[in-house]
Amino acid sequence: MNRREFLAAGSAVAAASALPSLALADDKTIQVYSGSDNNIIDFWNNTIIPAFQKANPGMKVKLVDAGDDNGLRAIADRALAALKSKADPQADVFENFDARLPAGGVEAGLWVTFSAENVPSYGKINRAAIDMPQQLPYRGSQVLLAYDKTKLDPKDAPKTWEQLVAWVKKNPGQFIYNRPDKGGSGGNFVRRAIHEVNGRDPSKFTIANFSADYAEKSLTPAWAVLKDMAPFLYEKGAYTSGNTQSIQLLSQGVVTMVPVWSDQVLQAMSQGVLPETTGLVQLTDLALCGGFSRLTVFSNGANKDAALKLADFLLTSEMQSAVITQIGGFPGVTWDNVAADLREKYKDVVPNSIPTFPGGDWNAAINDGWYRNVATGLARG
Amino acid sequence: MADTATASATGGSEPAIGRGLKGLLLVALPVFLVGWLIIYPIIAAIVSTLFVEATDGVQFSTASYRFFFSDPYSRANLALTLWTTGVCAVLLLLVGLPIALYLRFSTSRFADLVQSLAIFPMFVPSIILSYALIRTIGPNGTVDILLNAVGLPKIPSPYLTPWGPVIGLVWDNLPLTVLMLTAGLAGISNSAVEAARDVGAGPIRVFWHIILPRMGNSILVTISFTVLGIFSSFTLPYVLGPASPEMMGPFMLRTFNDLYDPLNAKTQAVISFVFCLFFGIFYVWSIARNQRSQSR
Repeated sequence: MNRREFLAAGSAVAAASALPSLALADDKTIQVYSGSDNNIIDFWNNTIIPAFQKANPGMKVKLVDAGDDNGLRAIADRALAALKSKADPQADVFENFDARLPAGGVEAGLWVTFSAENVPSYGKINRAAIDMPQQLPYRGSQVLLAYDKTKLDPKDAPKTWEQLVAWVKKNPGQFIYNRPDKGGSGGNFVRRAIHEVNGRDPSKFTIANFSADYAEKSLTPAWAVLKDMAPFLYEKGAYTSGNTQSIQLLSQGVVTMVPVWSDQVLQAMSQGVLPETTGLVQLTDLALCGGFSRLTVFSNGANKDAALKLADFLLTSEMQSAVITQIGGFPGVTWDNVAADLREKYKDVVPNSIPTFPGGDWNAAINDGWYRNVATGLARG
Repeated sequence: MADTATASATGGSEPAIGRGLKGLLLVALPVFLVGWLIIYPIIAAIVSTLFVEATDGVQFSTASYRFFFSDPYSRANLALTLWTTGVCAVLLLLVGLPIALYLRFSTSRFADLVQSLAIFPMFVPSIILSYALIRTIGPNGTVDILLNAVGLPKIPSPYLTPWGPVIGLVWDNLPLTVLMLTAGLAGISNSAVEAARDVGAGPIRVFWHIILPRMGNSILVTISFTVLGIFSSFTLPYVLGPASPEMMGPFMLRTFNDLYDPLNAKTQAVISFVFCLFFGIFYVWSIARNQRSQSR
């Protein structure tokens, strides 16, 4: 390559990289980034976006799959830098993100603070789901126990934590949960054990009341409970590395019962990954925890107003009902804001209250504590 | 015309200094990239783990390293990583060497088929391999179903035990091993083998006295190469391995991402790097030795 060719090629590359920002500058397309699984991406592309564009002619939504939470974090870091230099972050909405990140983002005003003023339907949101005003909970999911009805009669299925532990011990090797950091189904099972040893009172745990001492005091008995259970699990204490792998073991008939996410298990059943003979049960003394997916909107995005319109649209009865029917989730709004027939049909799967466990520093304490105390002590290999 | 004739006759058209400069320019970009993307992050990681921010400014501290080596949990993870790497290296040689020998000395058409089968794993992404292995040798998988069909007991499943990643990693690294060993075997002349046979050497003697001494170097290169890859492997131990102890790859990611603890994650990375550096030096040394012996 001679010098002239090199210069020509170089300027072509430079021009190409400048193109997207030029094209976006005068475009009214809402840029949505998601780090969620494929079922959620499909739900947006097939349901939410067409309905929103139909209801709001002239507005466009572009959904980009950022892969996972790390992908979103990288974009959020860039947006925070753009906020400081007053540039366009080229992103408007994150489909599911923790507004506590990136560090200093909230203080710098990176995220829009939601209220009834900018999102008229804000008042419909389930109070229990609101964590901080920079996040908009629009769909939820909860952890249930899925079991094989051919091996366990539904009327013998455990309904309380005590019955569950008794069942696991009576049927060694028939239960497995995934590592708490690798997927929420195992993670919330572990959190249920923590609730159990702390008087089944979810209100004892908040983001603000975390301290190393309190964590030590409240978590240690849970490790004893889980360690006591370990020898009766599959392979005398093996843990799968994700939600999907647990479902896989259940579908291969290796184990009889696993904790699962409600949306994933309903989808697995409708796709035939799990047979019709799969039973679902929720503990009645205190349900396994659930979690909400929370939308965030950039305050410095080029299409902030359109993005807030999209956020409001997600809280309509139509979209919230679709969350239930299409992805087996549960609504971010209170139950009196979804269609009555749905309320009746799904009353077994979705209880009125879903215990949640705070994130923040608790996550690290629980994950590290579990790995160090519960997962170790396997003399195998 | 006369000028070009002399130039081509001497074999070079430019003075030596100009050529040297061109050569430097050619390597400048890769050297710059290595410096920027590899050397600089390494130095930055080492410095930032040793000079930690304390209440009264930045201080020199080896606390994170002392924590790693005094923490039985971290030590168990390092031990498992070394164990997995060692077992994989031995198994790869045991499996790869016979295949490479066969490919080198066989002249049948069947050898082509064996070669393409041996190379095949190179084109299978490890995440797909992981799930496929759960389906086949996992509990109630294909192997169990076949065994059950002929009335045999199930195999003890390696899934979620340290043997799960070992099987996956051996399968995944086999193509590279076979290719490098075959390349090493190509340097052994047929005449040397035939001469040994003529004086009555059996296959084992030929292998021990003729082939092995000549391919020692390529075995060293193969081992150091695969060991580097296995030591830092991530996907297979993540999906197939046990929750604890875990290999350094998943351990580092978990420390960084789940525990929000960049300092300890970097410490783990530096420690992994030191072990890999050892194998890297080994590799460079054997290459250099090889070049010296060839230039002699």
